[in-house]
Amino acid sequence: MRLSFRSGNLRLRLTLWYGTVFSVLLLLHIGVATYVHYRQLLAQGFRAANEETETVEGLIYWTSDRKISVNEDYFNHPEIRFRLDRLLEALAPDGTILYRNKKLNGTELGGAPLQSEGIGSYNERTLKLSDGRNVLVVSHFHLLNGRPIILRLGFDEAPLLANVMRFLIVLLSLAPITVMVAVALVYRVTSSALSPLSTMVRRAERITAERLNERLPVHNPSDDLGHAARVFNELLRRLEDSFTQLRRFTSDASHELRTPLASLRSIGEVSLQNDHSAAEYRDVVASMLEEVRRLTHLVDSLLVIARGDGGQISLNLSVFSCLDLIREVTDLVGILAEDKQQTICVTGNAELTVRADRGILRQAILNLVDNAIKYSPRESEIRIELRRLSDDMAEIAIIDQGPGIAAAEQALVFDRFYRTDEGRSRESGGAGLGLSIAKWAVEVHAGSIGVLPGSAGGSCFYVRLPLEH
Amino acid sequence: MVSKVRYIRIQRQFLRCRQTMQILIVEDESKLAHALQQGLEEEGYSAAVALSGEEALRLIERGAPDLVLLDVMLPKRNGLSVLRELRRDGFHVPVLLLTALDTVDDRVLGLDAGGDDYLVKPFAFPELLARVRALLRRTASAPQPALDFAGLHINLAGRTVTRDAVALELTGREFDLLEYFMLNRGRVVSREMLTRDVWKETSRYTPLDNVIDVQVARLRRKIDDPFEAKLLHTVRGIGFVLREE
Repeated sequence: MRLSFRSGNLRLRLTLWYGTVFSVLLLLHIGVATYVHYRQLLAQGFRAANEETETVEGLIYWTSDRKISVNEDYFNHPEIRFRLDRLLEALAPDGTILYRNKKLNGTELGGAPLQSEGIGSYNERTLKLSDGRNVLVVSHFHLLNGRPIILRLGFDEAPLLANVMRFLIVLLSLAPITVMVAVALVYRVTSSALSPLSTMVRRAERITAERLNERLPVHNPSDDLGHAARVFNELLRRLEDSFTQLRRFTSDASHELRTPLASLRSIGEVSLQNDHSAAEYRDVVASMLEEVRRLTHLVDSLLVIARGDGGQISLNLSVFSCLDLIREVTDLVGILAEDKQQTICVTGNAELTVRADRGILRQAILNLVDNAIKYSPRESEIRIELRRLSDDMAEIAIIDQGPGIAAAEQALVFDRFYRTDEGRSRESGGAGLGLSIAKWAVEVHAGSIGVLPGSAGGSCFYVRLPLEH
Repeated sequence: MVSKVRYIRIQRQFLRCRQTMQILIVEDESKLAHALQQGLEEEGYSAAVALSGEEALRLIERGAPDLVLLDVMLPKRNGLSVLRELRRDGFHVPVLLLTALDTVDDRVLGLDAGGDDYLVKPFAFPELLARVRALLRRTASAPQPALDFAGLHINLAGRTVTRDAVALELTGREFDLLEYFMLNRGRVVSREMLTRDVWKETSRYTPLDNVIDVQVARLRRKIDDPFEAKLLHTVRGIGFVLREE
């Protein structure tokens, strides 16, 4: 439940983030739009003022007292009546006021003439009048009846600003609705996009060590969540595999431990049933000690395997000749072959060297040679051949003349506790761990191990190892 | 001339010396502890048992033993911490660590803490006895040029063997094996001891039992079969012993 709450939280957080970012962008958008609108109105205003200036230039005339007057009767176009609001000032180039209309209420429109004001084109600017009004002012240099004047025409900016304000208010009042609609949509979309996640979480909560066979649902294999689900499913599969392996190993190991324990128990119980002589008791104790020995070896082997599985063994690497290693092994166990009048024939190139943990690799070869001796008949030959397989691979083949291994069993002999022939192998002291230890020892050196039918009957166990150059 | 009284006194001192070698067994598994105690006492040592580290420290302070067998995995107080305290307090008594942990790191840790030797459970009792003897031997016995036992004579320098003046042809391994049996004559030798001391095998996981059995059988064929009195005996369940019946 806690997890699914978090996914709800994620949805909310995503929506909040989106809402915030969207609002900021929307406000920015409104700000820019309003500013552009204002600039456009301003440009329009100036354009109108320019046209108006031309009109006014046609309406002014000199009065007898060397001032200027305007023919105000002109306005017969109702659509330009707003121009009655115009402010008008005429100056001589030396700054003498020639005319100010009433709308100015006596304030000046821009003060003294600027440098070459209005000559060549219309001079456009905004001003603040002394009575507080903001105005757009256009000046134009004009020759009236041959005498130069500067004509200044102004409009109050207030109506323009009011227009901009209205525009802004409309946009702003629409903004909350827009944001709300967008956020609601995003919330819905996020919910439906994240709903597979909630199902995955609910399913994942059910998965425990006992129910590792469950898998997460994959809604859409090509999207991100589907990909994540597939990756998790792959992880679950690997976990399930190793759990199954571990469980099987534990149960196999327990069964293997039971056999010597059962012997121990029976030997002890039977010996206590009746009175026996000291010599007989000695025999009983000795027999029990033999079982203890088997148990000890079994536990030692299990420890090797457990450490190998746990990756706890650090390799003590050195470079050595494969042939040396083979000779070391045959020197050690050769006596067992001699005892069965078997001959061990070793061939190979002494220059093939590997980089490996000698002790661990020796264990692998030892187990293979030991098996070959164990399963080969008396007076047979065991061949050990070392050869270069490719530029960077060496192969050690151990070829016996034993009963061979059935094709169906060839893949299984390296499994833990696997025995081709239950009775006989236990008789010869193995718990079915020797080959799986050998397999581990070879694979930890990036090599491979396997078994093939031998050419003259029997089996050919091979170990392939990367060569050291 | 030494008076009789004085002779007896010397003999008593010697006997006391021999018999009162004190060994302290620190082991929480009381079954194992008492089995070891009985085994050591039968070998002529005097053995005491401490079931915890605290008890061990108390006993050692009361009277220092000649040797301590110390279990590493004790409840409450780890054996290594007991050992460190002992060494810090200036006790130089030899300590043989007993433990179920057998990685190289565990070994190094144990020896670093001040242990003199290290034995992994489950161990063979003859092996324990051999280690105890080695730790109690104050001076290393000087290498001898030859060993003699019940008509067997081996010349260590020339590596030759005779029995009742009959020369025996032994292989190198058979000679090493016989030398080891001669050095431990009268004592049971386990296969673990042979694996380590004669085959020089360092890994516990290389079971050489079959190899050892075949090798011992061959040695027996050479030194015993042609003669009336058999010397090399198998002690079933434990190992072998070289002794006169």
